[in-house]
Amino acid sequence: MAPYVISFVLFVFLPVCISLWLSFVQLDLSNAAGSKPVGFQNFTDAIKDDFFWMATKATLYYASLMVPAVIIIGSLLAFGLFYMGKGRDAVRGFLYIPGILNVAAAGILWTWFFQRDFGLFNFIGRKMHLPPIPWLVDKAYAMPSIVIMSVWWTIGATAIIILTALQQIPAALFEAAALDGASTWQTIKKVAFPILKPVLLFVFITSTISSFQMFGQAMILTGGGPENSTRGLVQYMFETAFNGFRFGYGAAVSWLLFGLIAIFAVVQARIVRSQS
Amino acid sequence: MIRANPFVRGLMMVLGVTFILPLIIMALTSFKAEKEVMDPSSVLPRTYTMANYNQLLASSAEAPVLLWGVNSLFISCATTLLVVVMSAMTAYAITRIKVRGGEVFMNILIGTMMVPSQLFLIPLYVILGRLGALDTPYALILPATAGGFGVFMVSQFMRSIPISLEEAALIDGCNHFQVFWRITLPLCGPILATLGVFTFIASWNDYITPLVFMEKITNYTLPVGIALFQSSYSTQYGLTLATSLLATLPLLFVFIIFQKQIIESMSASGLKD
Repeated sequence: MAPYVISFVLFVFLPVCISLWLSFVQLDLSNAAGSKPVGFQNFTDAIKDDFFWMATKATLYYASLMVPAVIIIGSLLAFGLFYMGKGRDAVRGFLYIPGILNVAAAGILWTWFFQRDFGLFNFIGRKMHLPPIPWLVDKAYAMPSIVIMSVWWTIGATAIIILTALQQIPAALFEAAALDGASTWQTIKKVAFPILKPVLLFVFITSTISSFQMFGQAMILTGGGPENSTRGLVQYMFETAFNGFRFGYGAAVSWLLFGLIAIFAVVQARIVRSQS
Repeated sequence: MIRANPFVRGLMMVLGVTFILPLIIMALTSFKAEKEVMDPSSVLPRTYTMANYNQLLASSAEAPVLLWGVNSLFISCATTLLVVVMSAMTAYAITRIKVRGGEVFMNILIGTMMVPSQLFLIPLYVILGRLGALDTPYALILPATAGGFGVFMVSQFMRSIPISLEEAALIDGCNHFQVFWRITLPLCGPILATLGVFTFIASWNDYITPLVFMEKITNYTLPVGIALFQSSYSTQYGLTLATSLLATLPLLFVFIIFQKQIIESMSASGLKD
């Protein structure tokens, strides 16, 4: 146990303390003067910064598209798997496979699909006599494009979680519904959906938390553009800290991000703790 | 009786293939000549070429792909081994030896699990800088061993297996190390395999940590290397896709071999409530 405790203290406990300290000091690697306590200035600076609010807006916008998409499409895929019968295991595996790609590989592939002039999607669109869509270069399309790629990338895991909950429902309930003459749709609505509520809450919480932490997709697909419309809070923190070398300010931003996540994280921690 | 619907089956099969189609396109395109790569009018290469793979194997100074592969492999294997061993030992100390303060420690650990990982980047950069570990594999391996998830998961599992066998061994004169090594560890095999698979995948695919902690191109891992292509080699799309395929194939094998564990533990994560 000792090695783990050392590692925990050094790489989890100490960083939390340092990060807290950093958020109340000015520490810029560009200036050698060292750290200077500044009270809440890092936080007030962030709240006054337009780029911080743009990043917050982009983060919330991404989550507002991603979370409903994950819940609705994940549920549809889960019901599809549930009612497909033979071949379920194979298709379940296929849906999960995109998730094993690293974000750089997946992102570069999709950058090409979304490419305006040589991209696959606009090529197909042209064949169908549709006007080309400026996927990644227009403010209105950039974030939805990132969401499309992210859904493809992550939806398999969600579908599997919901499918498993569906499979836990006693078959007798479905039989009773069938005997009463319920259609498939009625069975889904009246029998399955109420039982699925806790698992859907779990998916809601976890997908909200992970949406707030979106980083790699925007880095690869758009770099945060156009006009900062896809630069989320993590990217903002990353760039202020490691491109601008403003460590104190970056630490403050990361605590603000934690604040945004906190409510959801507490609910998730409750769920985790209820297990132990 | 759940009635399987043949229409739904057909639709789901088409969807399933659609989901892996991007990977197939990635693989096929990596065999295209550079001038053909950006041409979407034919997914199949008109002429198959190994040019991209020859370039990949050449592992030039600007794009040392093989070196990135070796870095990725070393870092992921070392991380996985350390996480599995340390999680198992810590879980044993807390749930079996019942060391003093173990349960309190466990609660602190669960508490820190809700802190977003990005919050650690800046302070870890400072600490690793002091330790002189930045831009070395240790910058990625050591912090990864501190995560609470593995200890939590293995502890949960240990609590669920009967303790009587271990008690009998202790009475027969085994010490804790022997009990841990001969009895507890083999019993925990399945959960440790699952933990190992997830740790390996996460480490192999990690993007933001090496992006922050690694500086020299020769120290990059595959994901950061692939991202580098995008900024500096945007014209060499074929090489980029070939490298992406190289980065994906090992995990595809891991997935095929450990499919059961991966799917099962993901399923279990949703049944928490």
